[in-house]
Amino acid sequence: MAELIVEEVRKRLGSNEILKGVSLAIEKGEVVALLGRSGSGKTTLLRSVAGLETPDAGRISLGGRVLFDAKKRIDVPAEGRGLALVFQSYALWPHRTVADNVAYGLKLRKVPAAECAARVRGVLDQLGLGSLGDRYPHQLSGGQQQRVALARALVYSPPLILLDEPLSNLDAKLREEARIWFRQLIQRLHLSALYVTHDQVEAMAVADRVLIIEDGRAEQEGTPQELYENPRSAFAADFMGVNNRFEGRVTVTSGDAAAVEIAGDGWSLTGTCRRDRRLSPGDRAAALIRVERVAVVGEAEADTLPMRLETSLYLGERWEHQFRRGDLAVRLWTPWPLQPGDYAVRFPRESLWVF
Amino acid sequence: MTAPADTLAPAPAASSRSGAALLWLRIPVLIGVALAVLVPIGLVVYQSFLSAPFFDKAAAFSLSAYDFVLTDPDFHDAFLTTLIVAVGMAVIAVPLGAVLAFLVARTDLPGKGWLEPLILVPIFLSAIVVAFGYVVALGPVGFVSLAVKSVLGFIPWRIYSLPGLVVIAGLSHVPHVYLYASSALRGVNPEVEEAARTMGAPPWRVALQVSLPLIWPSLVYSGALVFFLGFELFGLPLILGDPAGLIVLTTYLYKLTNLLGSPSYQLMAVVVVAIVIVTLPLVYLQRVLLRASAKYVTLRGKGAAPRILPLGRWRYAALAIVLAWLLVTVVVPLLGVLLRAFVDRWGEGVNLLDVLTTRHFAELVQYPNVVRGIVNTLLIGVIGGALSVGVYALVALAAHRWQSRWAAAIDYLVLLPRALPGLIAGLAVLWVFLFVPVLQPLRSTLVSLWLAYTVVWLAFGLRLISAALLQIGPELEEAARVIGARPGRVARDVTLPLIRFGLVSSWLLCFMMFVREYSTGVYLLGPGTEVIGSLIVSLFGTGALDLIAALSVVNVVLIGAGLALALRFGVRLHG
Repeated sequence: MAELIVEEVRKRLGSNEILKGVSLAIEKGEVVALLGRSGSGKTTLLRSVAGLETPDAGRISLGGRVLFDAKKRIDVPAEGRGLALVFQSYALWPHRTVADNVAYGLKLRKVPAAECAARVRGVLDQLGLGSLGDRYPHQLSGGQQQRVALARALVYSPPLILLDEPLSNLDAKLREEARIWFRQLIQRLHLSALYVTHDQVEAMAVADRVLIIEDGRAEQEGTPQELYENPRSAFAADFMGVNNRFEGRVTVTSGDAAAVEIAGDGWSLTGTCRRDRRLSPGDRAAALIRVERVAVVGEAEADTLPMRLETSLYLGERWEHQFRRGDLAVRLWTPWPLQPGDYAVRFPRESLWVF
Repeated sequence: MTAPADTLAPAPAASSRSGAALLWLRIPVLIGVALAVLVPIGLVVYQSFLSAPFFDKAAAFSLSAYDFVLTDPDFHDAFLTTLIVAVGMAVIAVPLGAVLAFLVARTDLPGKGWLEPLILVPIFLSAIVVAFGYVVALGPVGFVSLAVKSVLGFIPWRIYSLPGLVVIAGLSHVPHVYLYASSALRGVNPEVEEAARTMGAPPWRVALQVSLPLIWPSLVYSGALVFFLGFELFGLPLILGDPAGLIVLTTYLYKLTNLLGSPSYQLMAVVVVAIVIVTLPLVYLQRVLLRASAKYVTLRGKGAAPRILPLGRWRYAALAIVLAWLLVTVVVPLLGVLLRAFVDRWGEGVNLLDVLTTRHFAELVQYPNVVRGIVNTLLIGVIGGALSVGVYALVALAAHRWQSRWAAAIDYLVLLPRALPGLIAGLAVLWVFLFVPVLQPLRSTLVSLWLAYTVVWLAFGLRLISAALLQIGPELEEAARVIGARPGRVARDVTLPLIRFGLVSSWLLCFMMFVREYSTGVYLLGPGTEVIGSLIVSLFGTGALDLIAALSVVNVVLIGAGLALALRFGVRLHG
């Protein structure tokens, strides 16, 4: 049974429509990431589920219980929804100790003191915070605060946990460790979660499914692998991964409609049409290829273009190069340095997406 | 943790919109504020259209009071004088306040640490005490005047005059400008000053051509504020203006009290209406200007490091300017009061050391109304202050994160009493207590006085508490909501504990303001409602200068104690 069902939620703020009818379902034990740029509406959607924003239209239900229904004028207040929300800033109460912060949800539920203390200890131990119960939030490191915020949300076993960019306040190294730790925790506890982030790597690492949100609409939904390997729009393709994106004019379309030749000033490449509508010769089109798919090859193979090496950057574990031919500039990576000069650069046609 | 979710206490009816939260608090507070603000003002307006006091059975609707006041040449005089004083004050206070702010906020002026609280002292001093201090120090037979006369052979100033009044009022309002100018200056990116410095501009050019022009909205705002405060002025013109035959609107009102033998409420009401017609737009203008200056602030670069401008050889010249202002505005009047309280007599040829005495303080005890006045002042400051902070906190909490037009209504309501000078607010509250039968028994108790004080300082107190509330990130409250706390519980468990320090410091500031207050109690003065400030006003009529001096010292000591406590606990001295 689906745990959370969000149907056609709309939210308008002044003249600005933030959510333009978004639907979403989360199964029990599933983690769904809302991935989008800042201002895309992802946080507004999360807050609507939490009951902190009141949508203008749509329906939200959890485990069969209606939390919000604009038509029936049902709007269960945030405190009545029984959810948990981990804030981007953690929102730990500075006037309460770690243990008191965590225990608050149990106190509100009138859990007896002894049981309450045991459960707080349990969850703190589980998250590796065992000895910090008496500290105040400001005495903790950022990573510890982040785990306290999580403990506070987990302690009363909510059916669904909402996470609003929970790792974005950690520095880059810590964030990478937290990603793995977090994925393990989710699997161990069989959590259902809605996870908001703007970081595609984080979304792919943590979530079972990802919903890309753009301009208040669901752009595409799927497993991380589907999204990365089979994006349906130029936006979704460009949002995931590191890409070369360029424009050209369609010159030849093949009979099976999949292969498209696209050309610009002094170059011409064959790619795969990823658009619903057929492209015809003369159309302007955007082409996109992941940086890791472009390669320098020894001699002229299929799908290659002779290009001149413009710039090379040393990035540690690899080199990044920029090649140019006419108005076409592409980036690619090699594990070794390249001498200045002209090279054959290969654009595999199944990886060159034309939109 | 995979156990089924703990059940919450039964959730509120599923149909309740989340916007409806806290209405049990919000609606009564809104009604309470509306009553406390609109009833006194409404009564004044109503009274102004009657031919006699409202309790007089012969009172009928009439414009006769308007006719009398608007054709009274004294009223015209008073209006003109008030205008001159208000403009003069702004002309003196704005440049001086801006310069002081620049020196303290942006330069390496020596002794800034202890100068800063000293500059704010005049805000906390009772104007009536300060006025008395000027009389005994700089008056025709004042300590300083006599000393100067013995050297020069004449006194080069006359404080009982329009220029005397304007200069003293202007100097004592410098801190109001200083407050806004310095907080604006602290937001200026120091790099723009350093840029001017590296091109060869000396500090005074940096101030005049870079820093101060950058904060002009704050200066315009504080100019409007000082001009407005000029209309509220009462203690200074009463004591310094009266001997020279100068009347301003507030003293005109005060004199009307006894003009016709019987209480001429309808005439007083007309004067009040006249004052409010001027001050209300000014209050609104200040609000608009404050918003504009806040917007201007955001235009500047952020993350400015607190770097300061070295004054070099100008350092001690700058210090001299600040000290000279402090000497004239704080030291001279306060020393005057202090000296006067400890001597029997003075004059030419009297060695002050021979006539030192503590007799005046011993005499205080002999007057039961004076003793009551001191006790009442403490009560209204400590207990009344705490109660008022409680009221302000309730109002602030009710308006806190209330997304409704009614929250804006509270916003405007609390501005209204700001347009009432204390003297007038006291009068209006007195009328309310006379007019409403159930309140009449409370008329001669501290309840009436406390209500008047609370209404007069409503906007001030609310600003203090809202400032504390603004420090709380909304997610701290939302976190409690999501975990399952209802709005009332969130206020108790999260919001209020987080503004504890703000509440205590508001209490201290209210204590000082309530102890300082003198004009609000003037019309409410009676057996049982004496406070030091209003007693001094009424004692002036009797010429009991010994008593006034001793009472003034008590007043200054009480405020000084509050100030010391506030500084000890690191309370910001401004909201």
